Amino acid sequence: MPELPELNPVVHGKLRLALLSLLSSVEEAEFTWLRAKTGSTDGNLGAQLLKLEEAGYVAVEKKFVQRKPQTLYRMTETGRQALTEYVQALKQLLGGAMEG
Amino acid sequence: MTANAAESELKDRLNLIESMIAEGRRTTESWGWAFVLWGLAYYVAIFWTGLGHFPWAWPITMVSACALTVVLAARKGGSRPGTVKSRAIASTWIAMGISMLLLFPALGISGRIDQHIMIAVASAMLGTTNAASSLILKWKMQFACALVWWATAVFACFGRSEPLTIVFLAAIFFCQIVFGVYGMIAEARVRRQGATNA
Repeated sequence: MPELPELNPVVHGKLRLALLSLLSSVEEAEFTWLRAKTGSTDGNLGAQLLKLEEAGYVAVEKKFVQRKPQTLYRMTETGRQALTEYVQALKQLLGGAMEG
Repeated sequence: MTANAAESELKDRLNLIESMIAEGRRTTESWGWAFVLWGLAYYVAIFWTGLGHFPWAWPITMVSACALTVVLAARKGGSRPGTVKSRAIASTWIAMGISMLLLFPALGISGRIDQHIMIAVASAMLGTTNAASSLILKWKMQFACALVWWATAVFACFGRSEPLTIVFLAAIFFCQIVFGVYGMIAEARVRRQGATNA
């Protein structure tokens, strides 16, 4: 029987997974858009994005647009790879659970 | 945790991924207003020119419409994320706008422009850009607009001046005003669906 894969704990967190999934479908997204789509608080969102940034899964860019600060997040190639592997592992685990 | 609970949690994660990706893709840019704005700008320029053959009617109206588009787009853009698709479409329209803003004043200054050339070139450019945009979006309605513009361009090469003006005004009405309003209604429907699904 093949060994079942382990799920990446950084990706597995519910809000972090939602953020990576959202960022996988757009080129880049602003902090406020991510907050609106996930319905999370500023503090929690900032903390989870920081974890993703530390893992190298998202890149952050801070700039000023019309004198207003703007924080843009973009998924990195490492992040895309991690999400792909996570989905594959998830499907493998679900397949195993259904067979079991 | 039981096996059933663990399986349910894994399925929840998979559903979460699917719904968030769909949410990101549902993020639509709203550009219907720009079609209406430019349709009205063309009408203003045409009627202004017709009133007193004022040579600056087109340049003034087009530059004003450009400035208004930039301001409104910046305001409406808000915190919407950028997608590859939206960048591709915006690029085709910006490139067309630059071509028109360079070509028509140059033709005007050199004295090598007349009504037939102007309508043929403008309609062909609008046909090309609408077609490119419709192929990216897979939007048949916009491709129909491209066909109308191309037909207008060909008509401009062979048709007489009087019916040509009417054909051009009709093309602006259907491909800018009617299509723009249709686009705004479609965008509002998508936004409503998004709000309901959220």
